[in-house]
Amino acid sequence: MSGPLAGLRVVERCGALGQYAGKLLADMGADVVKVEPPGGSEARAIGPFVDDVPGPNRSLNFWYFNTNKRSVVLDLAEPDGAATWRELAAAADVVIEDGRPGELDRLGAGYRAVAPQAPGLIWCAMTPFGQDGPWAEYEATDMVLLALGGAMMMNGYDPEDAEEAPPIRGHGDQGYLTACHYAVQGILAALLWRDRTGEGQFIDCSAHEAISSTTEVALPYWFTQRVNVIRQTGRHAAATRTERWLYRAGDGRWVLVFGVGRDNASWKRIKEWFQSEGFGLQFDEPRFDDPLNRQAARGSPEAAEIFAELGRFIAAHTAEEVYRGGQERRQAWGIVRSPEEALFDPHWDDRGFWAEVEGEGREGRPVRMPGAPYRFGATPWELRRPAPKLGEHTGEVLAEWLGRET
Amino acid sequence: MTELPLSGIRVCDLTWVIAGPTATRILADFGAEVIRVEHGQAADPIRFGRPIAGERPTLNNSGFFNYFNRNKKSVLLNVRHPMGMEVLQRLIRVSDVVIENFSSGVLESWGLDYAAQRAINAGVIYCSISGFGHTGRDRHYTTWGPTAQALSGLTLMSGLPGKPPAGWGYSYLDHTAGYYAAIAIMMALHHRNMTGEGQAIDIAQVETGMVLAGPAVLDFTVNGRSWLREGMPPGNRAWEPSMAPHNTYRCAGEDRWVAIAVRNDAEWEALRRAMGEPAWAADARFATAAGRLAHQDELDRGIGAWTQERDAYQVMATLQAAGVPAGVCQTAGDRVERDPQLRARGWWTTMPHPELGEAGIDGVAPRLSKTPGMNRTASPLMGEHTYEVMTSTLGMSTEEYEELAALGVFM
Repeated sequence: MSGPLAGLRVVERCGALGQYAGKLLADMGADVVKVEPPGGSEARAIGPFVDDVPGPNRSLNFWYFNTNKRSVVLDLAEPDGAATWRELAAAADVVIEDGRPGELDRLGAGYRAVAPQAPGLIWCAMTPFGQDGPWAEYEATDMVLLALGGAMMMNGYDPEDAEEAPPIRGHGDQGYLTACHYAVQGILAALLWRDRTGEGQFIDCSAHEAISSTTEVALPYWFTQRVNVIRQTGRHAAATRTERWLYRAGDGRWVLVFGVGRDNASWKRIKEWFQSEGFGLQFDEPRFDDPLNRQAARGSPEAAEIFAELGRFIAAHTAEEVYRGGQERRQAWGIVRSPEEALFDPHWDDRGFWAEVEGEGREGRPVRMPGAPYRFGATPWELRRPAPKLGEHTGEVLAEWLGRET
Repeated sequence: MTELPLSGIRVCDLTWVIAGPTATRILADFGAEVIRVEHGQAADPIRFGRPIAGERPTLNNSGFFNYFNRNKKSVLLNVRHPMGMEVLQRLIRVSDVVIENFSSGVLESWGLDYAAQRAINAGVIYCSISGFGHTGRDRHYTTWGPTAQALSGLTLMSGLPGKPPAGWGYSYLDHTAGYYAAIAIMMALHHRNMTGEGQAIDIAQVETGMVLAGPAVLDFTVNGRSWLREGMPPGNRAWEPSMAPHNTYRCAGEDRWVAIAVRNDAEWEALRRAMGEPAWAADARFATAAGRLAHQDELDRGIGAWTQERDAYQVMATLQAAGVPAGVCQTAGDRVERDPQLRARGWWTTMPHPELGEAGIDGVAPRLSKTPGMNRTASPLMGEHTYEVMTSTLGMSTEEYEELAALGVFM
């Protein structure tokens, strides 16, 4: 079977910022050719590495973000390399690049040099701040983008958990990944336009704008009330302090618990659960029957009793028991897991979520990594090949796409 | 009206709260006709969601709702009424896309699983977003964004060492699940353009978080290393790629911070000079990446002493002029009122709304040169387009509309 993008030719020249955009297209069937400089993409130098030994084909970051792509080495600083790049780009349906504004133009390898030969070409330029504006030349990392985009100012601690704590950045290059989500949206919208008209176009994708659109309630609060939301431990930033969501279970693990007592139906289910184990026996008293009495924000003694009892109940159980017991009673509670712990949750096996790959240092010994973010009924996600070794397909692609003798 | 990339695509939008409406916001920005199907007895809770204009929620004065539902239409439809369900089927018949983010099993209970939808409309693209997907032993479990963030590992990857997890501070995975739904729907539309074939798409919100932690999972399956270990998460210090200094530093003023990242020796040298070559920074231990990584506490103290007397934006400008990555931790207010980059690129605008006034809104990323997504209308009032959609899209006569209205179908 082949994915929904089967037959689509994509050239990608991306490092850490843009590589995930190429993966999202490649994993759904596009033929994605990654053009790398002779030393390899910068992402090949990002750890962790297989057995902690660096090497161009041993980066686990590269393994993950470059599945289903082929690698071609070209030196764009050389006239021959730039000429071959232009030919590849003109033979493609989509180009994705994350060079600085004007960087490829200066090498004679930019959109302006290619577009006249390729009227249907969709060219997506990913940059930290966009093609123009006073910050266009600013330097950025994922953290700098999450700071400026507003995500960090929403994330941190209540003073009693960590005094004077700074805004916190979540890990995993989430700012770059968000930029890639938007880049792919733009590419697909342009592709649908091209399906109708044959016309290509240029896409200016700013990571700063993408992240700034990914901060949920922060902008509505500013627009509607001119209020900046405040950071709180492990829960939503809000205009005022709210009740806690994180509790420590008996096994020392954190669980995420919220909405206790909000409505009468769910309160009844939780009350019966607690009481069946000898907790919250006073909850049968009529003063707990009124949902308003149970709301923490109102500061009622009943709410304080409920939260105290909740803490005792959770401390007497493992995180897994709290999570599953809550879910079985239709509470959207969670357990704060480490990323790999999902490997041991059989639900994801049931869904066939995991993909298996091999690579340098693990030949013949496949390892698991995350698979698809979506299940397509007719045209499924598919791992056709692991991330390419540096320059593995240079001859093959130049022969196939440009008819060059190898 | 200007032709947009998704002009002519009609979306039957059964979504609510955040994740689903995020997906249809994107489709609407790019020109799709998105028809929100709303039910007065079970209104989208975000219609009451704070912030609101005024004292009491009215269903139509939520700034939160407005942000996620621009460019869409709203119809009132009582799907608990048999005639309401029949009208919904008529809407599905003329739609290209049906999308919902109920708990898995809800549409099936309405008799509208994919097989039933396909019997009505052979080429339909049906996208479902649920917590755990439509298959697997826990498919009846449910999530909010923070639940999915916790289960996927993202919450644990955010925080100071030795402290509780910081989490994300908002429903990052409501945004992201919505992004994947929009991406999946556009991919399916392209496939349908090529082959005529529609299909069903099943999105589990937890999985949309699990795919964002790939390298961390591989570090375990390849190297046996877990994030559950001493010193993790590392706060704002770098995980991978490793670099130092890499942190947030307090600046002058109330709760002002700047993020500074030094990727190599040249940037360290530039930072050292930009700080005026303080004596502490001349220490030879800081000259190499390995030395800087080994002595981050001292580095952070020295840099923090320099920044805390200074304005965060000035620190950023000084360091950026020297070629060092630096950025202010901006609030929403900073982004709207102060950020010169967003302003220069015309990122902010307003759209008139009957109860919110000139409602502020952001732009459309990314920017397409020929057919850019655009803001056309603020969010719809509850049921604002019921008559229009029933009569023009579904071709009802005014008599039929009024007959159904009298039966309580449009409420």
